[in-house]
Amino acid sequence: MYGWIWRHLPGPVPLRLCQALLLVAGVVALLMFVVFPWAEPKLPFNNVTTPTQ
Amino acid sequence: MSYDPPPPQGGPPGQPPRAPRPRPYLPPQTAIPEEPRPRPRPTPRPGPAPDAEATQFTSGFSGSLPPVAPPPRPARPPRPRAADPATEIIAKMQADDYDDYDEYEDDYYDDDADEVAEQPKRAAPVDGPVRKAVRGIGELLITSGLVILLFVVYEVYVTDLISAGKQDDATLALDDAWKADSGSNTVQQADPQRQEKYDLIDGKAFAKMYIPAFGPDYHFSIVEGTTDKNLEVGPGHYIGTALPGNPGNFAVAGHRVGKGAPFNDLDILGSCDAILVETQSNWVVYRVLPMPGEEAGWAEGKGTSKKCEKVAPLKDAANPGTSPYGKTVGQEIVNPTQAEVISPVPHFSGDLPPTAQQVSLMTLTTCHPRFSDRQRLIVHAVMTQFYPKPEGFVPAEMKEQ
Repeated sequence: MYGWIWRHLPGPVPLRLCQALLLVAGVVALLMFVVFPWAEPKLPFNNVTTPTQ
Repeated sequence: MSYDPPPPQGGPPGQPPRAPRPRPYLPPQTAIPEEPRPRPRPTPRPGPAPDAEATQFTSGFSGSLPPVAPPPRPARPPRPRAADPATEIIAKMQADDYDDYDEYEDDYYDDDADEVAEQPKRAAPVDGPVRKAVRGIGELLITSGLVILLFVVYEVYVTDLISAGKQDDATLALDDAWKADSGSNTVQQADPQRQEKYDLIDGKAFAKMYIPAFGPDYHFSIVEGTTDKNLEVGPGHYIGTALPGNPGNFAVAGHRVGKGAPFNDLDILGSCDAILVETQSNWVVYRVLPMPGEEAGWAEGKGTSKKCEKVAPLKDAANPGTSPYGKTVGQEIVNPTQAEVISPVPHFSGDLPPTAQQVSLMTLTTCHPRFSDRQRLIVHAVMTQFYPKPEGFVPAEMKEQ
């Protein structure tokens, strides 16, 4: 997977490195701002309330 | 990738005679170390006859006896050698080993005449389906591990940052609202004990809370409502429970991990620690009730300290069974379903006493144990002071540690 991506990045190594870092940053941002906020309420970590009557 | 050169050699398959080819480019490696060998040897050998045996051994095991070699040298032969062998011997050893190994391998390939078939395998261990699958699974596992680690970072740190922004916004909005209302507020000062007017809008802050025991900079704006979205902003007031300073139970929920973690240290809050609530026109001081173990002997024990002046077990010592507040203590851990901890009289199932006779309580709820929602940590506090809020007034309780 990672090897395939690396082979398909165009340009010399420094340029590829920049692109790879950009890709990583993009994935991290996607996780942080979309996936995790969606997943979090479904996980049993953070319920702090008791039922109200 | 670095093995690219071999394949072209092996290009025409089934040609064992080509075996010599690898030699031409291996020998250059062997040739280099072999040449230096004769050079150093001739110099020692011309030396005296008695040492001949020793030098032979050292040359025969040139690698294994470097420490033995030096003694004979300084004995007689010319000095220049002393410097030479030290560096050269090491070089030889490595070169010899590799050369032998390579030669054996070459022979093996030659004998089998498989070289053409073998070499491509070595050069390009590429992508059989099994290899691909194993690597894919490995990469997936590593990736999912990293994602889970990242989730922990998100949960514990990033949500803090996001919530801090929301909390600041809520506090600013609250300050603005209070300032805008300050005109009518001065009229209210005439009768501070009267029912305060609140604008309770879901998700909007309506009061601030301070816990001096958690440090002078501990302050949060309390928002109305306890949905996930509300609690991202800050501690949330259970809708329908009493309001600050009023009889009944002013119940507030807050996160313990992440999202600003307002109630992170709720478990270390001790009896008599102050919880201050600032509303638009009043300061309300609550103090944590005695812990379950402290109730017996409270009057002689901790109850004598100054900050516990107005705190006492709510239990009616004479008839603990029937007193409505018999089970209301400073701290308790309950199941998530136990809604009775935030009822006006906690844990009381009989007919509620009339509102005017209810004690003014404050109840904080958060998850327990940390990082889990298996239980709830509950802290009950009782109102001990109620100050109207002239401009710039700060209660003395704020300076407690």
